[in-house]
Amino acid sequence: MRAVFELQGTVFYIIAVCLAILVFLIILNMKLKKFDPLDEPKGLVLMAMMGVNFIENMLKKDTNKEMTEKLGPYLAFLFIYIFIANISGLFGLTPPTSNYSVTLTLAAITCIMIEYYSIKYNGVKSYVKKLFEPLAPFVVINIISKVGTLLSLSLRLFGNIIAGSILMSVVYQLLARVSALIPVIGKFNFVGVIVCSVLHMYFDLFAGAMQTYLFGTLTVAFISNELPEEAKGK
Amino acid sequence: MEKGLIAIAAALAVMTGMVTGIGEASVARQAVESIGKNPDAADKIRSMAILGAAISETCAIYGMLVAFLIIFVLGA
Repeated sequence: MRAVFELQGTVFYIIAVCLAILVFLIILNMKLKKFDPLDEPKGLVLMAMMGVNFIENMLKKDTNKEMTEKLGPYLAFLFIYIFIANISGLFGLTPPTSNYSVTLTLAAITCIMIEYYSIKYNGVKSYVKKLFEPLAPFVVINIISKVGTLLSLSLRLFGNIIAGSILMSVVYQLLARVSALIPVIGKFNFVGVIVCSVLHMYFDLFAGAMQTYLFGTLTVAFISNELPEEAKGK
Repeated sequence: MEKGLIAIAAALAVMTGMVTGIGEASVARQAVESIGKNPDAADKIRSMAILGAAISETCAIYGMLVAFLIIFVLGA
């Protein structure tokens, strides 16, 4: 009998990443409950405070107070989820963000949010009017540019992560051949372990953190682009 | 023979990255220069530079998308 649908392997990696985030947040919550506000924060508590501060400052600069409260949790989710998904390659998983479905979903949420806030703050009338600017035939180009935002946001993250993991697997295979030349202990790919630690540093940690930051910053920048000037900075 | 031609086409498509590299480097150079001239505006310059680099990177990403399409649609 043919299966009706096939589960992609990424589903299990997504579940693993979500469990890791869950455990991390439960530990953080326990620490925060025990924390006395008069004490000097340190460790995880300090990290959480710095994160919240960072996100609030980023949003306050470009948007208004109401949106800071509403977009803050979403942005925090983006940062935590994408960062842990990106660096999960360090723990031997395939990063969930190297599957296009995952990044497309994340970018779609952001794009729907951009349109929602654009309609909310500009009104339906000027939103439709903006589509036909500067001339009526430009409506096609304007709609294409909206799809372009979705494509570029999702493909940027996907491309960076998948390029990293493809390169890593190629280098691992090459180094396995090299270390097979060494007698007795060569079967265990220890040349790969030594050389690839540097590559993991770049492709997983640096590129992962950079792309997380970019995704968050671009989300805020695109949303604040749609706002009228008078709605900002209140 | 056909596989080789497909590989060449994909390689040509990702060559958009060549020019994008130069473009992004010029964004970084200008950002460093203007932070040197005006260190107080570093925060604003940083966010603008990241935005500019990210948008000019779109070009390379489209090249990569085309390369993927060529490899997985034509080469499969």
